Amino acid sequence: MKNPCQQAKAPILAVEGLAVDYRLRGSSLPTIRDVSFEIQAGEAVALVGESGSGKTTTAMAIAGLLPPNAAVSGGEVRYRGDRLPIDDDAAMRPHRWSEISVVFQGAMNALNPVHRIIKQIAEPCQLQLGMSRDEAIARARELLELVGISAERGRAYPHELSGGMRQRVMIAMALACSPSIVIGDEPTTALDVITQAQILKLLTALRSQLNLALILITHDLSVVAECCDRVMIMYAGRLVEDGSVADIFANPKHPYTKLLIESIPNPEHGKRMVRPIPGDPPTLQHRPSGCAFRSRCPSAMPVCATEVPNLKRWEQGRVACYLHPPMKHEEKALANA
Amino acid sequence: MPDAPDILRLENLQVHFPGRGGVLDHILGRPSAAVRAVDGVDLAVRRGEIVAIVGESGSGKSTLGRVITKLIQPTGGRLLFDGDDVTSMKGFSALRPYRHRVQMIFQDAYQALNPRHTVFDIVAEPLRSLRLVTDHTQLTQRVRQSHAAAGLNPPEEFFARFPHELSGGQRQRVVIAGALAVAPDLIVADEPVSMLDVSIRAQILQVLMDLRQQRNMALLFITHDLPVAWLIADRIAVMYLGRVVETGTADDITFRPRHPYTVALRNATPHVRGHSDREKLPALKGEIPSAARIPNGCRFHPRCPLAFARCREDAPPTIEVGPEHTTACWLMK
Amino acid sequence: MTKLTAESRRHLRTQAIKSFLRRFLGHNGAWLGLLALAFFLVLAAMPGALVGPLQTAITATGDFLIPPSTQHLLGTDEIGRDVLNLIVHGARTSLTIALVSTVISLIVGITVGMTSGYYGGRIDAWLMRTTDFFFVIPSFVLALVITPVVLEVIGRGGDILGFRPSLFVIILVIGSTSWAFVARIVRSQTLSLRERQFVERARVVGTNDLNIMVHHLLPLLVPQVAANGALVVANAIYTETALSFLGLGDPLQPSWGTLLSLAERAGAASSGAWWYFGAPGLCVLIVSLGFVLVGNALDDTFNPRRRAIP
Repeated sequence: MKNPCQQAKAPILAVEGLAVDYRLRGSSLPTIRDVSFEIQAGEAVALVGESGSGKTTTAMAIAGLLPPNAAVSGGEVRYRGDRLPIDDDAAMRPHRWSEISVVFQGAMNALNPVHRIIKQIAEPCQLQLGMSRDEAIARARELLELVGISAERGRAYPHELSGGMRQRVMIAMALACSPSIVIGDEPTTALDVITQAQILKLLTALRSQLNLALILITHDLSVVAECCDRVMIMYAGRLVEDGSVADIFANPKHPYTKLLIESIPNPEHGKRMVRPIPGDPPTLQHRPSGCAFRSRCPSAMPVCATEVPNLKRWEQGRVACYLHPPMKHEEKALANA
Repeated sequence: MPDAPDILRLENLQVHFPGRGGVLDHILGRPSAAVRAVDGVDLAVRRGEIVAIVGESGSGKSTLGRVITKLIQPTGGRLLFDGDDVTSMKGFSALRPYRHRVQMIFQDAYQALNPRHTVFDIVAEPLRSLRLVTDHTQLTQRVRQSHAAAGLNPPEEFFARFPHELSGGQRQRVVIAGALAVAPDLIVADEPVSMLDVSIRAQILQVLMDLRQQRNMALLFITHDLPVAWLIADRIAVMYLGRVVETGTADDITFRPRHPYTVALRNATPHVRGHSDREKLPALKGEIPSAARIPNGCRFHPRCPLAFARCREDAPPTIEVGPEHTTACWLMK
Repeated sequence: MTKLTAESRRHLRTQAIKSFLRRFLGHNGAWLGLLALAFFLVLAAMPGALVGPLQTAITATGDFLIPPSTQHLLGTDEIGRDVLNLIVHGARTSLTIALVSTVISLIVGITVGMTSGYYGGRIDAWLMRTTDFFFVIPSFVLALVITPVVLEVIGRGGDILGFRPSLFVIILVIGSTSWAFVARIVRSQTLSLRERQFVERARVVGTNDLNIMVHHLLPLLVPQVAANGALVVANAIYTETALSFLGLGDPLQPSWGTLLSLAERAGAASSGAWWYFGAPGLCVLIVSLGFVLVGNALDDTFNPRRRAIP
């Protein structure tokens, strides 16, 4: 099947300059802009952002699952070097599930309440892989065992399962056609901490077992620390920082990342205080000019208001901030003028 | 604070809902088991103290909050407020003095605010309903003060707005302002930050912490998030399946948990930076059972990696394991 | 409250009303319905100025059963009364009966529906069984029961608030048969609204049940009630016509139904006097259609799936 050595260098997924617009009452609102990143085979990357940051939109655009009132307005997505037809639902169908699949947040809404779960897992195998009914059922039993549910439980209906079990079923469905990339859209947000830990553990195990690349969409930085190699931080539709998990937590570059980490209560830290980020995340309709974070940023400069900072390579990662690399004095004077 | 008098005291408090079996049970006349959402809780909150109740969904923590705010009636045990037995207090006028002193903050501020009411009317509602203020100037004054205390500045700018015109954080501040308007002695906060964005959570926690400083108001903070509980609370009570399994200071519960469930909860909580003693206990299996089918003996035993014979038979008593630190586990005996 | 906020509040309200009107009038049906209703409301509001006082309508002014001409635009009836004159005065009677009985049914329906939905339990069960009774009772049978009672109370010649006894019977009958429909709708809405958390918050801040119903629930029920209220009026017009046609009307305060009834008795259909039964028939049709169109447009405008905030 897949040979990990072959794709050691070439990225399995490359996103370049992705832009998505939403249409709202006749006007078109830029939702994400200039999102570029690469993912290697078997890599686990987190896409972290607050509500309205465009993290889910990015993921749905990659999977070709944008809602009807949204459209890709620029950029491209390449899978193993080939351009994916992400704006064409029909052309995207052969790629979805067998190359890129998605685990959604609300397992109860994504599962059909009147069918047994085994049938729902077998269905994509029949449709996408052209398996016979018996083959598909056999495959579904295999998948259930893979996600830690005994095959006998396959006869259950979705409502007979607990939240954690349903999320496991969702994962089994996502794995049905042996994809190389799984996008998890807040897969553990609705779950309790203990169940969340179980699901994250399962995802990590499956990832190494099947050499899956994982894109984890989440608002919770602490979840990321548990199961990802790399983190990308999004704010108001743009990537603001990209780096390894260790790097970002030990030495965050972007002021937003820094404040985000400090605003999470951390007992290991010892001090019982938080430092709240002032203000609210900008809404889609009212994003500030220039750097969107400048209105809440403690180190904003005049230049931040005029031009959007580019996502530049800096040290081991990438960051979009005028503080990195630090500007020389005359440069700063020029930029701020 | 440890020697401050109790403002709230729960003694063996119970809330059992009549069970609702399936259609078949109904036809065959089979009795269905009652849902024991809260099943014998002992807990005290002192004046000006912040106590966090931590538990998973299904632990009964929200039901506990609703009993204390008198949205539902307890079915057993005693509920004491400032020394008075308020267990069976009922009815709008009888509850008026109680409502004046006990208020609530909700998880989803969007749902908790009437979309047709302005912010002014929302914050003024408790003052009008409880007839604390009749004079309009005085009312405006109180509403303005509450806005400022909840961090809605400048207050006048928010008066005429409707909830849908506010951000998530501002809406939660409006709920807080409403609760503060009557200057209560106790606020029950049911997961007040779990629906908010990470960067906003800290703002709201800060508001609540400041309020306690300024007003010496007690806070019962219900949450599923142990780090948040550690941050805000003086003491933490951990609930499992309708019962408190461990209580202690925030530091004790976070760093020196004794009950296996608390340990599991702590280990499952993801942290920004790594854990030192994460792998001491094997991971828990399964999920919290339904409150209609509570296991015999210690209710945690089917999932407990350390359970032994006695756990299956007898429910463990509450055992003191340190100053202000109690746990209900046979291992401590 | 400061002047500034009061002003901005007023501004917000006007904006909300404007946006509502824009969406409402975006429906062609709404325009058509409103035009029809406006026309008949003007007729009903000032029949005296348009065709002269009621006395002129119920006295013969020409030959009998003459087809429409310049002198009698809609012809005359079998005793020589001007049909146009009768129609205009009939508009007043018909619309008044319909609107008054709708108001009765809305008041009763909202009260019963909201009480039932809010309190639930035994109160709900009893109120809903009562509602079911009124829901299925045939209006004509009810009219037969009520008529002697009303006549006994106010006497054949007297009147209540300007309504002659038989019209009062009609109002009572329509009011008491159509509230059940309103109550059912209001109850189902209340059932879902009372689960909303702001109701819980209102209880915690000490608001009593009556105030919760009046200040929290009622404003949110208005859209549904308004949309269905228009349908109730349409239905009331029909019922009024039917009851008057069956002979419950009052010849001294003729409504459209009374006219239809008279036309039928005069054999207008068989003698080819189409204007005699056609004119009131068309009026009934247009007015009830107008209310239905307005009701549907309101329903569309308030449709929860199309608006962001209730």
